[in-house]
Amino acid sequence: MQNNELQTSRKSAQKNRPKNLNLTTIRLPINALVSILHRATGCALFLILPVILLALQYSLSSAPNFETTVSILHSRFTKLMLLGLAWAFFHHFYAGLRHLAMDVHWMTTLMKARYTSKVVLALGAVTTLIFAVYLWF
Amino acid sequence: MLIELLTKRYPGMRAWLMQRLTALVMAVYSVMLLVRVAILQPSIYEEWLSFFQPLWFRIASWLFWICLSLHAWLGVRDVFKDYVPNYDVREVLLKILAVLLSVYIVWATWLFLVY
Repeated sequence: MQNNELQTSRKSAQKNRPKNLNLTTIRLPINALVSILHRATGCALFLILPVILLALQYSLSSAPNFETTVSILHSRFTKLMLLGLAWAFFHHFYAGLRHLAMDVHWMTTLMKARYTSKVVLALGAVTTLIFAVYLWF
Repeated sequence: MLIELLTKRYPGMRAWLMQRLTALVMAVYSVMLLVRVAILQPSIYEEWLSFFQPLWFRIASWLFWICLSLHAWLGVRDVFKDYVPNYDVREVLLKILAVLLSVYIVWATWLFLVY
């Protein structure tokens, strides 16, 4: 009985909840950009997990399979995918460190948070650039 | 007070702390992995195989995967909580997520045991 009441109140709460899904009306400050990218890159990294395990297993299984994996990794398409993945990892890494810093009450004022957002974006870009140089040269 | 926050009465605090602790472990492992790749630079199959041989590296990699799974569970669960308002659909998605992450753990454990 009580459970039913809880369900009904939950359902009505769901229906009456206000929604603002028009994304063009939302202005995105730089710290919000870093935040949503942290979430998006986290999702991307989660989705790529089976591919990483598959690549690990295949490359470790035998010498010819290792050669095949290396040649796949050397193709232009895979390199571009790797670059995107590397950026996702580096951004998630740096943005995560920023979260940890804020958890210990470091850089928490608005101005400082904006500054560290820029630092996170810049570090992600620079590290990805270094990775790109390593991939192609 | 701090200890009380970590009891079962405050499950959100536990999730919060778990997400941070696993993040720290993964951050340390990632840097270690990058340094190890840079130093050893495995380019042939035998080198790649021996890259995974040391016991400490296998244990570290396995620990990393456990942390990764817990971290992904908490992170993707938050995403579902934010974007999937329907409770039934969300429950199904969370079950699929749990099954997927469990399969990955078994897969990764098998990899670190066999090679």
